[in-house]
Amino acid sequence: MDFLDILREKAFLGREFLTWLWFKSDQTGGRIEIPGKKVVEVLFLDRMTLDLSDVETPQTVTLKGEHSELREGLAALKEGKKIEEARISIRAGDNDFKMMLKGTWFSFGSFRTPPILPAGEAEGEEDVEGSFLEKTYLIEEGMEIVDDLFEYFVKLRISDGWEAIELPALRRWVSTASE
Amino acid sequence: MGFASRSVSMMRYRVRGEIEGSFWEAVDAGIKRGAFTEIQTAGDEVGMGWASIDDFTDSQFTGASYLRGNYAALSLRIDTVRVPPRILEIQLKKESRKKLEESGQRRLSSAQRRELKEQLKESLKRQVFPSIQIYDLIWDTARAVVYFGSHAVKARELMEAHFKKCFGLTLVPLLPYIRGEEILEGKPEGRLLEELKPCLMAP
Repeated sequence: MDFLDILREKAFLGREFLTWLWFKSDQTGGRIEIPGKKVVEVLFLDRMTLDLSDVETPQTVTLKGEHSELREGLAALKEGKKIEEARISIRAGDNDFKMMLKGTWFSFGSFRTPPILPAGEAEGEEDVEGSFLEKTYLIEEGMEIVDDLFEYFVKLRISDGWEAIELPALRRWVSTASE
Repeated sequence: MGFASRSVSMMRYRVRGEIEGSFWEAVDAGIKRGAFTEIQTAGDEVGMGWASIDDFTDSQFTGASYLRGNYAALSLRIDTVRVPPRILEIQLKKESRKKLEESGQRRLSSAQRRELKEQLKESLKRQVFPSIQIYDLIWDTARAVVYFGSHAVKARELMEAHFKKCFGLTLVPLLPYIRGEEILEGKPEGRLLEELKPCLMAP
């Protein structure tokens, strides 16, 4: 399958991942246990774009605001939309990451890592390199958690448990939460 | 918005392909070959190439300054100029009149007009300050991943082509499906992912 076909035909995977992630996070107050890995806290913050994918004329809706406003996203889910991008925070141990995670491209907007020593306060080449490495490690740590969450989703998505347990629970969540 | 900023935006790529011979020698040669330089050809870009991630005016990379542990840290500098359309129109009218007077023609052919427009655009380009765009790129050579600090299509396309030209390696955006393929590589479940269709999440 070439790249453009993947981009066109498989974009749903990223949107379903984000939608499932919101469901997971909402069900547990944010706490998600990644099988065989670690427990992380995932919260959906103040911005989300939902897209009616798999149709000829895409319809998107962008929601901004705090938690209560985001609940309107559930109404959009009820119409068949899925999340195309969302601003989320992920906490793992003492480290807190914030990002706008994009579904189709699996890319990151406004990615914030925990703070490091500002470059201005670092002196000498070694310190500059040290700051760079610290920042890069943190970026990669944040992405690794997203990857772990995605792996959790993908394995679940292709398993029998998806149709049998996870998807019905997700649909129940969509229906009850928007009443 | 560079990687040193508090908040960064980035695309992730998988680096595909192999470098023959010494890896770091090839990387060093590729960076220096593709270092920022002025471009003389037609088009909006008047300069492009790798520059230091710490100083975009430095494209010498003395002492392999791009090297940070297992990472190659670079900036892609793209200088573009846009000749204001009205200025081009004024010059084109003026030069067209001059040409007609000289040649005695009643009107310029479309080919002549096109050629004149291109000539004027190229000469006017030299009188306009370029717009300088800097995009950071971090190449994690241990994981074969590249992080690129922009989602803009034009910047991405230029970077992907430049990377390929310099290192002979292909950058593939790590889309969810491609990441999924990697997770399930060599496993029988890979087929299930391939056959996966969108599901209805609404009740």
